[in-house]
Amino acid sequence: MRFTYAAPDPNTPPALDGVTLRIEAGEYVAIVGANGSGKSTLARHLNALLIPTAGTVSIAGMDTRERTQRLAIRQTVGMVFQRPDDQIIAATIEEDVAFGPENMGLPPDEIRARVRQALETVGLWEVRLRPPHHLSAGQMQRAALAGVLAMQPRCIVFDEATAMLDPAGRRTVRLMMAQLHAEGVTVITITHFMDEATDAGRVIVMDRGRVALDGAPTEVFADEDTLHTLSLELPPIALLSRRLRQSFPALPPNLLTAPALTSALDALPHRVTPMPAPPPPEPPAVGPALIEVEALGHVYLKGTPLEHRALRNVTLSVPNHGAHGLLGATGSGKSTLLQHLNGLLRPQEGRVRIGDFDLNDPRLDLRAVRRTAGLAFQMPELQIFEQYVGDEIAFGPRLQGLEGQALRERVRWAMELVGLDFDAFKDRLTFALSGGERRKVALAAVLALQPPILLLDEPTAGLDPLSRRELLTHLQTFRSAGMTLVTSSHRMEDLARLAETLTVMEDGSGLLSGPAVEVFSHEGQLRTLGLGLPVAAEIASALRARGWPLSPGVLTAEALAAQLEELIPRA
Amino acid sequence: MPDFEFQRYVTIGQYLATGSPLHRLDPRTRLLSGACLLIAVTAARHLQGLGLALGIALAALLIARVPLNYALRGLLAPLPFILFLAVLQMLIGPQAADAPALVSLGPLQISMQDVLAGVTIIARFIALILLISLTSAIISTSEFVHGLEALLRPFTALGLPTQDLVLMAQVTLRFLPLLALEAERIAKAQASRGAEWGTGKTGILQRVRQTLPLLVPLFLNSLQRAEALALAMEARGYHSGKGRTSMTELHFRAGDAVALLIAAGMSALILLL
Repeated sequence: MRFTYAAPDPNTPPALDGVTLRIEAGEYVAIVGANGSGKSTLARHLNALLIPTAGTVSIAGMDTRERTQRLAIRQTVGMVFQRPDDQIIAATIEEDVAFGPENMGLPPDEIRARVRQALETVGLWEVRLRPPHHLSAGQMQRAALAGVLAMQPRCIVFDEATAMLDPAGRRTVRLMMAQLHAEGVTVITITHFMDEATDAGRVIVMDRGRVALDGAPTEVFADEDTLHTLSLELPPIALLSRRLRQSFPALPPNLLTAPALTSALDALPHRVTPMPAPPPPEPPAVGPALIEVEALGHVYLKGTPLEHRALRNVTLSVPNHGAHGLLGATGSGKSTLLQHLNGLLRPQEGRVRIGDFDLNDPRLDLRAVRRTAGLAFQMPELQIFEQYVGDEIAFGPRLQGLEGQALRERVRWAMELVGLDFDAFKDRLTFALSGGERRKVALAAVLALQPPILLLDEPTAGLDPLSRRELLTHLQTFRSAGMTLVTSSHRMEDLARLAETLTVMEDGSGLLSGPAVEVFSHEGQLRTLGLGLPVAAEIASALRARGWPLSPGVLTAEALAAQLEELIPRA
Repeated sequence: MPDFEFQRYVTIGQYLATGSPLHRLDPRTRLLSGACLLIAVTAARHLQGLGLALGIALAALLIARVPLNYALRGLLAPLPFILFLAVLQMLIGPQAADAPALVSLGPLQISMQDVLAGVTIIARFIALILLISLTSAIISTSEFVHGLEALLRPFTALGLPTQDLVLMAQVTLRFLPLLALEAERIAKAQASRGAEWGTGKTGILQRVRQTLPLLVPLFLNSLQRAEALALAMEARGYHSGKGRTSMTELHFRAGDAVALLIAAGMSALILLL
């Protein structure tokens, strides 16, 4: 099968190039690959949203080219898309779920029965009358799934359906995929999360429009070098296993899940007597606080019938050159808090101080605050407005009054910070860049103001593994260059790398706050909030439960390996 | 600081689920009554009729349990525009030859009639805005869609693609609040990069200059959204024409007939007074 997007340039490489695949009924398949590798294009062929340029796609014996079969094909293969709010059509959840059955022309009673069943399956029956924009992203994604389930398809394709979700939402959707698979539905999931791919029975790796690898997760994730050339990476547990195998060659290869790794480690001969407690680590030298937030509260649309409280009594302090992380579910107030830190929002209750700026002072020059603290929004590439990369990045410095050679140098500096070559990229069209490149441009545009503080809202959401790894490396470089970072993220691995101190947000309040090591030691509380732990901490905790005398505060693979080396005698 | 809350001053199009007696009427009744009153207000010629319309609007807002200060805030944004129209009407409206001039400004003469005409314009706009806010506060999007579909159904026989039209209205309504939120986010992103949004010291010229960088991403994002939505709809088997059914069935009760009669009677009064 081949597919070429209609493009004015006849030399455009095909989005799909000679793909031959056979997926059996009842399979659970994960499709992975870099941005632009053809995953989504492939998925859209599966329910006749796209028709192949050459070759054929046949779904349960029906050719997708046949117009008369189209409705039948779409009833056989349902699809859940990436952005939750772009696939909900109606004003209430209930009516949205009814949309598919209505298209099938079912009688009203049958529709109501199916809607109820679908909503109960995804656990949204209680909120069926709510308008979609009052639901969390995770709930909306479940509503989208219900809309598909109500059509009772035999196969469901999830097109990066978990990319925009918080850990709790992601876990629920993953459980539902497994449940559907157990009920005999064919599940196909496209994802950038390698750990999700290990849930599946079969992993297909796409690369430049071709199938590069196709096999069981243990086969596909066996060869790390091949994965790197395909811009992918190992799942977090596999990465950790690989690191531990360097220290303990006795560990078997291909450990892809936490229980497997824990059992394999537990099988190694080890001491169970506690080590003499190491001296408590020096508390990091705390400089004077650069950002101070005291009892901050915020209510959106205050004084209207639509008002809702986003923050209550949040207190926070970040030292100069510090790295602070915010975690919490969608809607817990992280973004609202970040917007207070660069003066986009003024404190309604409580106090905020950024360096020398007192945000409670009504005469404050807000532009100066925004220059001090640069904020990169979630999905910042959506806010790009200039045609050329260079102009986009020059927007901020130009407003500062920079021009000519100085402006040019500033743009060059910012682009090089994020790893974009100035000469190669400055005249590129912003809308023709890849997702990862656009994210870099948006970040460079904020950095071009040379802010001493960088605020990042979900910097890695929706990026493919390669772009994410590059971005994290750059952010760590800024850290060592003395920039103060405040990052919000749903990915514990990111925070374990980027943050020294953490605040856990829950329903607008700061629930836990302190050094990362300490916050991650409240495992039970984090789990009840639907948050997780970095994998190294998770394994350490599982080993502790089996009687291993590990000391607390293990967050990284290195720290875990160091402790295990003390406990496992060398061969 | 409400600088970025674009939604705050828009009371039109905001459904408020207060569960009042008005909310319990059949959507068709609410739509038809609202339409009747709106047409009456638009066509009314005399101040007395408009005064009555204002009274009806305020009473209905009370019955619907819509907070009055909230409804009145919706008047703030268009107020300068309305006042400007009113003044224009007073200055250059048709001169009645026999009317004594109250004030003379060179060639311009303002008579009692001109003042009345100006006041009429103000009253008409205020009544219209209040009525539209009221109608949108008591009809949810889905009720609006079903009501409209039921009312338009007879026209299908004439070859009008009513289902497509109604779906178009539905999608538009669904995406308007998203558009407002998106505009807010883009403005904030640009403020973070040194644009003058929300610093409280912007002239008209600057505002115009700021709008372009706001519109470009807004437009592009809307296109992307539209594409994603179209895909999602197609994937769920949407097709226009025959064979679609609806989950909701509407019921017209005695109370609806009474409400409809009252609305029709009031509309007639507004027109005739």
